[in-house]
Amino acid sequence: AAMRSRAEVDATLQTAKLNPAELLPVVHCLSFGPQAGGGECCLLQLEPGLCAELEAGRSLIIRGEKDEHAVLCSKDKTYDMKIADTSNMLLFVPGCKTPEELKADQASCNIIHSQIAGFSKNYWELRRCRPKLKKLRKLLMEDPYEGPDSQKDQASTFSKYTTEDLLNLIQASEEEILHQLQVIDACKIEGYWRILDFDYEMKLLNHVTQLIDSESWPLSKVPLCACLEELGSLEPREMIEHILLSYGRKYVDDGEVFFEMHEDKICRAVAQMLLQNAVKFNLSEFEEVWKQSVPEGMTTRLDQLQGLALVDRSSRPETIFLLKVEDLPEDNQERFNSLFGIREKWTEVDITPYIQDLCAEKQTVGALLTKYARSSMLNGVKVYNSRRPIS
Amino acid sequence: VSPSGGTGALAQWVLLELQGEVEPRQSGDLAGSLLGDLHYTCEGVPVLIVGHHILYGKVVQLEKPFAVLVKQGGASQPSPVGPHSHYTVTALIKTKLLFKTRPKPIITHVPRKV
Repeated sequence: AAMRSRAEVDATLQTAKLNPAELLPVVHCLSFGPQAGGGECCLLQLEPGLCAELEAGRSLIIRGEKDEHAVLCSKDKTYDMKIADTSNMLLFVPGCKTPEELKADQASCNIIHSQIAGFSKNYWELRRCRPKLKKLRKLLMEDPYEGPDSQKDQASTFSKYTTEDLLNLIQASEEEILHQLQVIDACKIEGYWRILDFDYEMKLLNHVTQLIDSESWPLSKVPLCACLEELGSLEPREMIEHILLSYGRKYVDDGEVFFEMHEDKICRAVAQMLLQNAVKFNLSEFEEVWKQSVPEGMTTRLDQLQGLALVDRSSRPETIFLLKVEDLPEDNQERFNSLFGIREKWTEVDITPYIQDLCAEKQTVGALLTKYARSSMLNGVKVYNSRRPIS
Repeated sequence: VSPSGGTGALAQWVLLELQGEVEPRQSGDLAGSLLGDLHYTCEGVPVLIVGHHILYGKVVQLEKPFAVLVKQGGASQPSPVGPHSHYTVTALIKTKLLFKTRPKPIITHVPRKV
């Protein structure tokens, strides 16, 4: 199509009875570009910070399998994507100047032919969300590492996952994924991320705690070198170091590497080992066995078991059973349904460890309870139950 | 979603927001057809002449800028654990021209028959 001429533009102005003297000298003649109707382009509304990231040359990734809602990931954050409809038509125009730009630009031409690149009645809206990390654990649990002597690994037909694989499969940003791998004590074995089989993990931990006991080392100063020397014949050195890293804090003193052991985490692991063998335990019996099972010098406390086990103080005798928060659903409503299915009424103290991870950026546990539960008083104590009948 | 090319800053485009539908005058393709003339008054008010209508609008700095995404062609590399499509950011949009007022029809002067 022939491009409009200045003369044609001026004629149109005259017909429209617009006074050229009141207008800036430059006109944009807008036409639809060759790809305009193709629907190849779409609009993404950017949350604060994302614009700067793009301008700095960083990428944003859209992740999601066919059965998942798409999320957008920056380097360190995850966003839900939703289509927002407007009742208006949005046209995107390259090379279109604003009045300020025109006034600043002392261009000699007075006609700009702009081609509309595309148009849309909707755009993608973003909302910051919790990264969807439950799948990460699920994938790594497909084939937990049972140690170098395990027959399984040789003939393994299970998928093993590299960092790249995980980035493609998990709906979360890279930083969130790497952080979670650290949180769940995953380790890289032959380039693949692995989670330790719990029994193997306890075997490794036992080697270390027994050595600490026999050497009478203080729990806050366990020497790495000595551990590797003494235990190196029993287990791979990487595994020894990994278990120390998982259950201790690494530091350097006078050029030597030591670990300050996490008493709480060790006690918690011992409790899990005891609890997983039965549906539930007599509370006082459990507490006694637990106390005697932990390494010398460590003190057990029930609050070490938050998010791992639940105490039932209404039963006679009082009991305790394993309930791991990571085994519960990731979706808010499903999580609450699951919790109320396990117990009809919860105190805030009891339920908090099981809903804490659901809190969005600035959300409190209280806000979650207000939204998903109904409160009432029971024997002078505030309790929460389901908003809807549970079958 | 990657910024296109490595060379230099991302292009800055402008958004035009119009009420209603955009229909080509001819029944054929939209591509290549004219939309209209965009002027600005000396005060910076955008004026759009579309067909027989004059639309007055305003320049709005977007609180939340847009990224223009272009889909990269189909399944170029089929992989068992890959995302379905790759998008490239072609441009950023920080400004929009919003035309919300009802278009004023242009009444063409019909010459009298002498």
